[in-house]
Amino acid sequence: MKLKTFCTEHESFILGTGFIVILLALWESVPLWYTLPKGMALFFTTPSKVAAAFQQLLINGEIEKHFYVSAIAFLAGLGLSIVVGLPLGLLMGRSQTLEALLDPYVTSFNASPRIVWLPLMILWFGIGIWSKIVIVFAGAVFPLLINTYAGVKNVNRVLVNVVRSFGANEWQLMKVVVLPNSLPYIIAGLRLAIGRAILGVVVGEFFGSSQGLGYMIASAATNYKVDVVFVGVAIFMALSVILTLAVKQLESRLASWRPETAKTF
Amino acid sequence: MRRPLAKMPPFIRANDITLVFKSKNRDPVTALNNLSFEIERGEFVSIVGPSGCGKSTFLNMLLGLVRPDSGHMQMNGTPIKGPGQERAMVFQEFGLLPWRTVTANVELGLELKGVAAAQRTQRAMELIKLVGLNGFERHYPHELSGGMKQRVGLARALATEPEVLLMDEPFAALDAQTRDLMQAELLQIWERTKKTVLFVTHSIEEAAYLSDRVIVMTARPGRTKQIIDINLPRPRDYEMRLTPEFNEIKSRIWEVLKEELIPGSRR
Amino acid sequence: MNAKDYYTEHRRLVLGVFSVIFLVAAWELLLTYVFPVNPFFFTKPSLIAEAFKEQVQGAKLWHDLAISSRAFLWGFSFAVIVGIPLGLVMGWRRRVEYALDPFLTAMYASPLVALAPLLIIVFGVGVLGKAALVFLLSVFPFVFNVFAGVKSTDALLINVIRSFGGTDKDLYFKVILPSTMPYLIAGARLAIGRGLVGIIVGEFYAASEGIGFAISQAGDTYRLPDMFVGIIILSVIAVVLTEAMRRLELTVAPWRAGEEVR
Repeated sequence: MKLKTFCTEHESFILGTGFIVILLALWESVPLWYTLPKGMALFFTTPSKVAAAFQQLLINGEIEKHFYVSAIAFLAGLGLSIVVGLPLGLLMGRSQTLEALLDPYVTSFNASPRIVWLPLMILWFGIGIWSKIVIVFAGAVFPLLINTYAGVKNVNRVLVNVVRSFGANEWQLMKVVVLPNSLPYIIAGLRLAIGRAILGVVVGEFFGSSQGLGYMIASAATNYKVDVVFVGVAIFMALSVILTLAVKQLESRLASWRPETAKTF
Repeated sequence: MRRPLAKMPPFIRANDITLVFKSKNRDPVTALNNLSFEIERGEFVSIVGPSGCGKSTFLNMLLGLVRPDSGHMQMNGTPIKGPGQERAMVFQEFGLLPWRTVTANVELGLELKGVAAAQRTQRAMELIKLVGLNGFERHYPHELSGGMKQRVGLARALATEPEVLLMDEPFAALDAQTRDLMQAELLQIWERTKKTVLFVTHSIEEAAYLSDRVIVMTARPGRTKQIIDINLPRPRDYEMRLTPEFNEIKSRIWEVLKEELIPGSRR
Repeated sequence: MNAKDYYTEHRRLVLGVFSVIFLVAAWELLLTYVFPVNPFFFTKPSLIAEAFKEQVQGAKLWHDLAISSRAFLWGFSFAVIVGIPLGLVMGWRRRVEYALDPFLTAMYASPLVALAPLLIIVFGVGVLGKAALVFLLSVFPFVFNVFAGVKSTDALLINVIRSFGGTDKDLYFKVILPSTMPYLIAGARLAIGRGLVGIIVGEFYAASEGIGFAISQAGDTYRLPDMFVGIIILSVIAVVLTEAMRRLELTVAPWRAGEEVR
């Protein structure tokens, strides 16, 4: 009886984790019931082998070394995109002239995959940190800019009138109404930007780097070290999920004044 | 409330106000045309008129957010050029900042004027008490009912101690019962604080119940059609609304307004 | 008088066009008269235009585009075929939602492009490897948007249909489908963007033909004008497809113009 109520109460959790556990178990057991042909076996690995590889790479310091390089590029690129994207988004939201002047670039860059610029960035900045930072920046800046802009544009006219009626100047208007109103948008933009930034790091390191987790994946693939590839993929997966959840947490905390949390899809 | 014999300038004076809306792809629309009237200190004056006659726009002008194309507005003998401490508005859609608690919303005007934190919190507490919201200081607007939201709006407007309260259909978004309650409370607060009130409404009943005078405006372009004195005794209560005198006044306002509402009946 | 009126009415357009013309002209003039051009590192609009003309008249560009489109279409079609039913089932069956949501959310949040080297090595540098990558990247927007669309169906509307004696079929075609449609198209818009990333990364990584390969090869051999031609063509394709989806969204769901879904 008690077990049954426990199951209904935690149904979503049980089913969710259960599915992942079963998937991993099935994957692990493939060699037990199916003998892979030689050619395929080269590309196959199991979760336990991936875990072993992870442990080894952790011990010999490989992961730490690559992680550090990737983290620097990620943080620098994302930081730069915040520093540029937020003020520009605010300005574009408040100034119609600036909006009209920049709109063609923002719209077309945002709609096109920024990754195509990678070869040019490598040509200009060489193999190394700078071409990665630029490509991370190019990916992350637009969601931040566009969301900030949308937040500013979405300000309720009545609230603006209320604040103006108390004689507020442009700066007070910004502080009291425009910024708080944009905050949920900015955080949602940050969530998208993090995804784009990680994509930038991965792809940037595939081609424009001799270090970093992306490089580790690419070079392992060329040497048929499939377990190492999955170690890299799993690290990126874990980082993305953790960062996304952290921002969602921030989103729901900041939105405590809202009747319901902002739409996340 | 009548003007004393000594020739004092009126407290608020609007003279020949004209406003034209120019928007792209559309012909310009004259919203207000030669609108004039005068209001005495401490008076409760309502403005009624057909939808779109520019009532709300006119309030925004008095508030200092919209400038007339021609004409003059004066208060206390000085022209109105922008927002000022002596005027405050209660908005139809409440206009509460959703990310601020009740207290922080009431403090808004004081904060923007640079009043110290301790002082403005104390003032906010007084007003929250005045409008009967004790116990809700830390609530967010979405946790309040419509009537409570408008109490916050009223408290916020009163916080800066304005001489004039401008009220733009403040009770239009409320249900009928809450509305009756809020009207009665507004009258009480008005009698206690002796503010001058300019009240825009769609409801003849509301205008007749609350006001000393009712200004009936014409359809667009809006101007003063007729000013009707409401010579009913104060304090007024709900029962007064059932008397024949009250209904007689209502039908007088209706007779004037009707001509503007029904096309072709204007003389 | 007339020019001034035109400006006030189409201010946005005029300023936008002016800004683009100004930038292109400044780029051209600066590199022609102020800074001497090192053609291996910089290029200018006139040289790009020349290369563009040459490529459009040649056969290689069209061949590359055909190769890339084929891989893209295969991957994208499979994403549609798999993603939509999966999203529908997740929206209809609560238990399926509970079982799949954490896994799929984790996959959606992850940079699956990290699997590119492995996929290319396993499936080869031809259509299959790239199509697999496109599929993997573009399937999740379909799943999640269709799921969100079904979930967003207004319960009141379902009751309305039921109260008029509507059947299940009415329910699906008159309520659930129309409310899911805009989400589906928004999902397609996102999937196109991600799919293009898949094609580009796949072809950057290992390929012997295709538009992504053409760009990276032009970079390797310092042919900047050719590289810009490839970048511009890809960007234009992306913008056109995205804009088409946006238009389609407005056409099938004019009542929710402007609402955004991820």
